[in-house]
Amino acid sequence: MSRVSIILLAAVLLSALYLVRTQYESRALTTELDHATSEARRLEIENDRLDVERRAQATPKRVEKLAREQLHMRTITPAITHYATLPAQGANTAEAVRP
Amino acid sequence: MSSRSVQYTSSPLLASKTPIWRSQFIVACIALGFLGLVARAAYVQLIGNAFFKRQGTVRHVRTLDLPANRGRILDRNGHILASSVPVPSIWANPESIDRDPEKFKALAKLLEMTQAELEKKLSDEDKNFVWLKRQVDEPVAKNIEALKIKGIYARKEYKRIYPEGEAVAHVVGFTNVENIGQEGIEREFNKDLGGKPGSRRVIKDKFGQVVEDIGEIILPEDGRDLQLSIDSKAQYFAYEKIKEAVLSNRAKAGSVVVLHAQTGEVLAMTNYPSYVPDKRGNLVGEQIRNRVLTDTFEPGSVMKPFTIGLALNSGRVTPNSVIQTAPGSMVLTGTTIHDSHPHGALTVEQVIQVSSNVGTTKIAMQMQPQEMWKTFSQAGFGQKPPIAFPYLGSGRLKPHNTWRPIEQATMSYGYGLSASLFQMARSYTVFAHDGQIIPVTLLKSEDTVSGEQVFTANTASQVRKMLQMAAGPGGTGMKAQTMGYSVGGKSGTAYKQVGKTYGNDKNRKYRGWFVGMAPIDKPLIIVAVMLDEPSNGRYFGGDVAAPVFSEVVQQTLRMMRVQPDIAVKPMVVTQLEKESL
Repeated sequence: MSRVSIILLAAVLLSALYLVRTQYESRALTTELDHATSEARRLEIENDRLDVERRAQATPKRVEKLAREQLHMRTITPAITHYATLPAQGANTAEAVRP
Repeated sequence: MSSRSVQYTSSPLLASKTPIWRSQFIVACIALGFLGLVARAAYVQLIGNAFFKRQGTVRHVRTLDLPANRGRILDRNGHILASSVPVPSIWANPESIDRDPEKFKALAKLLEMTQAELEKKLSDEDKNFVWLKRQVDEPVAKNIEALKIKGIYARKEYKRIYPEGEAVAHVVGFTNVENIGQEGIEREFNKDLGGKPGSRRVIKDKFGQVVEDIGEIILPEDGRDLQLSIDSKAQYFAYEKIKEAVLSNRAKAGSVVVLHAQTGEVLAMTNYPSYVPDKRGNLVGEQIRNRVLTDTFEPGSVMKPFTIGLALNSGRVTPNSVIQTAPGSMVLTGTTIHDSHPHGALTVEQVIQVSSNVGTTKIAMQMQPQEMWKTFSQAGFGQKPPIAFPYLGSGRLKPHNTWRPIEQATMSYGYGLSASLFQMARSYTVFAHDGQIIPVTLLKSEDTVSGEQVFTANTASQVRKMLQMAAGPGGTGMKAQTMGYSVGGKSGTAYKQVGKTYGNDKNRKYRGWFVGMAPIDKPLIIVAVMLDEPSNGRYFGGDVAAPVFSEVVQQTLRMMRVQPDIAVKPMVVTQLEKESL
């Protein structure tokens, strides 16, 4: 067998081993990516769930209940509202200010 | 060859005692072994290739579903009205289940079913998948897991959550257990909200981890978020007020709708009785009907402004023309038309103010049925309202060529035709929006819209003044007055049909409503309120529905940060102090 053939054979063997290694690494990375994607999705879902929970704590129904029962507040009317008009260009945007 | 070389083979000492055929035999066996391997390799690679490939696929290739998130439903300020969250669902494999009676008892209790029901579900041992209960609470699933019954599993499924509960239920609607919209916005926009699930084919290793993707990944398309025109605060307030009114008047039901008079957006639409959409047990029966849109009835006095508006618009009368309504009744082709009280001579303005049937009829009989029909049709009567929502009532408006004179008369004051509360509210955009009937929407769109011109802006303004008088001193809707804001509107009351008649004094049933707008010079909102079968002594629309109108107007305008347009006696006890910066 000529020397060239031997060198080529060695090269083929090395390349084959390298291929096996690369494939292994690629699979390991795919697994990692998959885990990260699942985690991202899980966090996204968790975020959605917490958003809903936060909203459930701040619904008008709950706010009114707490305002009335714990803070002894009452519904506002124009008679107990002081309307302050902003000067200059903001003249049209009246803002309701509680006394 | 040198003399030192030795012929080992010829040495008798080294001569092998084993026969030569043994080594030849071993060599032959090894060769045969290799041949076998080559043959096997050829079989695996060439002949049986398809079979082995398939087996490999079965063992390691999996198709994973990539679920699409259902879009959220938001109110005009971005608050969540509906969203999906994953919850556990319990399933069993009857084939391999561990049937321990003690554990079964505990399981049945956790699933809120009897042991017999549970046994029945698990009776078919040939099955290897059966749902026991879908969408259970997290603690229940944890307790079931703690029982450690072989063959019982939990799987995550999406469940729709509605944080605002019953106040918004009729608008948002609900989905079934498969996440398909069944009512309301959930039904109408099911396609947009639903999205498209995707999938990917992967190779999994023996630990169940994904190691490689095969082929193309079909990415899921998440559903679109929908932003409604509803203001959840205004909606909640309207719901609370109609609930109070229904309970205090011992009515069967009540509805409120609030429209933005400039943009055509629906700011609130609510009914009582309502339901909690998260609880599946509630999702049947009368309370799931969105009465604002489905229930139609004779609009009564609410129609009078259209008749008068047409007469003003065509120049037949002016607001100050005098109409003689004495003696409070008139006979038309053998039928008598009555007023609730005799009023004598009235101006056209006063006809609306005191809600005279005789006065309205006298004005209407000057007009052609076709003109009236055209105006009523333009105002949306007799047609489904142009709004994206399932199950819309269209009401009834007979073609003008079939109108008999008495029908023309009764229709002029709102009987002989029917409409839903929503149609009535929308029809009043004609007066609120300078004579135009504007398109309405349940989706947020803050631009001022324009619509079909029904009356001139001047006529609309004249009618608004009459509506203000009707809701003021001497009018029928005095209780619609609200602190700080000028209002105008018309009340209506009708007998409900009991069988084929309107009942007698003992079993008569009523419906009372009020439709109006505020502030009257440049209306921003139109509010319509209806109470079905009030039975606590009072039943006139001006008595039962107008107070709800008043409160809803005041709070909605306050939430919209509209400054009062009429003077209010302040009850502020402390003065505002200037803040130092």
